[in-house]
Amino acid sequence: MAADFWSSSHHKRWIVDRAALKQARAEDMRYVKDPLFFDLFNIFTGNLIARICKKLGFRQRVTATASVFFRRFYLKNSYCETDPFIVIAACCYVAAKAEEFPVHIKTVINESRSAFSRLGVKNFPTDNSKLAEMEFYLVSDLECDFVVFHPYRTLMAICGKEGGKGSDQEAGEHGFGVNDGPRYWGTGEGKLLLQESAFQNVWLIINDLYRTELCLIYPPHLIAIGALMVTLAYHTSMKPIIQQAHNERTPSNSNKLQSSPQPRRSGRTGHSEKEKEKEKDKKPPQDVIGFLAGLNVSMSAVGTVVQEILSFYTLWDLFTDEKNQDTFKSAQPSTSNLLSRGTAGVKRDASGNPIQETLPPAPIDFANEPPREPVSAASILQAFVKMREARMADLANQRPPPVNKMLEKTQNMNID
Amino acid sequence: MTTIEGDTNGWQPDPMRYYRSKRDAAHQKVASKYKIVGFISSGTYGRVYKAISKDGTESVHAIKKFKPDKEGDVVTYTGISQSAIREIALNREISHENVVAMREVILEEKSIYMVFEYAEHDFLQVIHHHAQTLRTPISMPVLKSLTYQLLNGLLYLHEAHIIHRDLKPANILINSSGTVKIGDLGLARITYQPLQPLFAGDKVVVTIWYRAPELLMGARHYHWAVDTWAVGCVVAELASLRPIFKGEEVKMDGKKNVPFQRDQLIKVFEVVGTPDEKDWPGFVDMPEYQSVKKLDRWANCPMATTLPTNRLSQWCNSKLRAQLGYDLLQQLFTYDPDKRLRCREALMHKWFEEDPKPTRNAFSSLQGHHIPPHRRITQEDTQSIVQTQAHPAAPPPMHALSHSVLPASGASFASLSGGQQTVRPKKRARV
Repeated sequence: MAADFWSSSHHKRWIVDRAALKQARAEDMRYVKDPLFFDLFNIFTGNLIARICKKLGFRQRVTATASVFFRRFYLKNSYCETDPFIVIAACCYVAAKAEEFPVHIKTVINESRSAFSRLGVKNFPTDNSKLAEMEFYLVSDLECDFVVFHPYRTLMAICGKEGGKGSDQEAGEHGFGVNDGPRYWGTGEGKLLLQESAFQNVWLIINDLYRTELCLIYPPHLIAIGALMVTLAYHTSMKPIIQQAHNERTPSNSNKLQSSPQPRRSGRTGHSEKEKEKEKDKKPPQDVIGFLAGLNVSMSAVGTVVQEILSFYTLWDLFTDEKNQDTFKSAQPSTSNLLSRGTAGVKRDASGNPIQETLPPAPIDFANEPPREPVSAASILQAFVKMREARMADLANQRPPPVNKMLEKTQNMNID
Repeated sequence: MTTIEGDTNGWQPDPMRYYRSKRDAAHQKVASKYKIVGFISSGTYGRVYKAISKDGTESVHAIKKFKPDKEGDVVTYTGISQSAIREIALNREISHENVVAMREVILEEKSIYMVFEYAEHDFLQVIHHHAQTLRTPISMPVLKSLTYQLLNGLLYLHEAHIIHRDLKPANILINSSGTVKIGDLGLARITYQPLQPLFAGDKVVVTIWYRAPELLMGARHYHWAVDTWAVGCVVAELASLRPIFKGEEVKMDGKKNVPFQRDQLIKVFEVVGTPDEKDWPGFVDMPEYQSVKKLDRWANCPMATTLPTNRLSQWCNSKLRAQLGYDLLQQLFTYDPDKRLRCREALMHKWFEEDPKPTRNAFSSLQGHHIPPHRRITQEDTQSIVQTQAHPAAPPPMHALSHSVLPASGASFASLSGGQQTVRPKKRARV
């Protein structure tokens, strides 16, 4: 069923393990020493996809689907034997159709071209048929599985925002009276009350995570809950609520100061009536920890996702851009107010956080490694070009790629 | 930042060349996997063939080949159509006994081939068989079984948040075991949190005779109920062997405006009555409400089943010959889309509990010549069919239809049958 993750192509065919990911990079690994390069390359390509999709006026869900298509394509192919740029453009083009938000092929070509040329990628085609040809191969490699489930849906379900009206991002018509089939997400009874800014925060983290391969490893609901956990731990609006819940559970520690309502964050003052009403609704504060504990998911799996999220942000911190800083940063949601990035902040919070009982201590992968040099998009691109040149040279020396003129000629459809 | 222009000199002109040759070498061709045994039908999308698998199972399939795009005489890549992407996407997700199963998709030589399970019959063919060969109504056990299985397949689609949007007899298939298979998801789509209103994507949906009143009234928002209305039309047609609302379609004008389908609405009003605000509170807010006000009013007493003024009741008395069947039909023809019968409710309707009960094999009560004949396939030169597609002028004379492709049954591979009494409307205008 298209409405049910567990019977979807996404669940059945496109959730893989680490070993499969490693296998997918086997060819590339012969040309790159540091496996960290691929994590950085994921951020690089994720940024590019986000930027092009934004230029194309896509809604976030289309961008997310394009990103998933791209990651799936490279489960089956090597970077060094392909041109990721034409693949990115094709992913955007197909995702738009898959999400019923079609755009003209020429528009995709033009926006992709301009984004790539700004980076210094010059040989992107101008011809519609080149992109359409890539679409054909992409569709084959995607095995025609176009329905993708995203964590946004889980987030909306958890926060009782299904129907789209509560969210600015995915506002739009929700077929009135649409038959609500059974959902994998429980009964819909009882929802998490999140301040609007905290909700947005989770949403932005989910956006950011398309710069990783998490969408290939974890089902979307685990990613959503992971992003929610991170928000609960770091978002300022959540602190008093969690603290109070914590105090109620351990009455001896109760602290009146902590349970008094916290003023709203400065950036959010004068916010809409909606939020005020939400805050009114929130008294007495919900037992957030109890709510999360009641979710029917593996908490250790969620813990791993949280760890991956923190590692990702640490890595992204290394990512700078020299020339394209403005445009690049504008293409991605600001992460500075999401959470205090960097290992120091993570460690401090992880040690004294009241919700550590639901979170395993989160050692950061890179915490024990020497600090890395900052990297730029240009340097990643150069490393990629080198890798591909080396591969192409090897291919030319060992076994020249077969030029199948004969094959093409004999490919007359018998069917016609 | 340094550009890599200098480095690109060393690149191959096309960095995807290696990838493509690798993929092409691994490609298994349609002709190597299937033996094409004949041609079934064609439409705006392309053509449908009957094929037998070469994998040793000898299984029979219908292969739908999307027409490749041409620039002049050269076949070129122009991008896969929205409709193909949607049909493929949905078929990859679904699996139900009463929905046609897609086995695989093969992309080859700039064409897309969708391989489906084969179905020997379809509703339209059954209707024709009874109307022309047998000259008897479809028996109650068959009628009820077909209806039940159709609703059962549709319930599955609706629970998956999929609306079909092109239900009609030609699109509803039946295999040789008497199992109903809903086919052609080319216009179907997922309605779960759409990014744009459904109306924005496809201006015209559902073949005119099966189009729900809210669509005829120009509604910008609609839902599953357009399908259950169509089910009502299909059941009525099974019962009477002719379309219940056989209106004349107003063609699109050149300006891409959706015309007011006056005649079709009158045909509906004649039988079900003109709705008022009481029946359908949203009626007066419909874009075409002013146009409808100019029409004559037909009496509408849907609840007063015994009154002679109720045309639907009269119709059912003569055609359906079952009080409970009439009740089901009446609920499927509820004007207010929000109050129209849902599939789940329809399946629990008392009519299905009353004897004769629906059977898993819809034809189990039939013998010999009462079972509709096998689907007709032809061996004609397919190239000429492409030519006739380019000039869909006047329909061919009636006698020609009996042994050639129906011009009007574009929507599916389901439409060949022994004869044709009515020229059926095309699926919908392409906008």
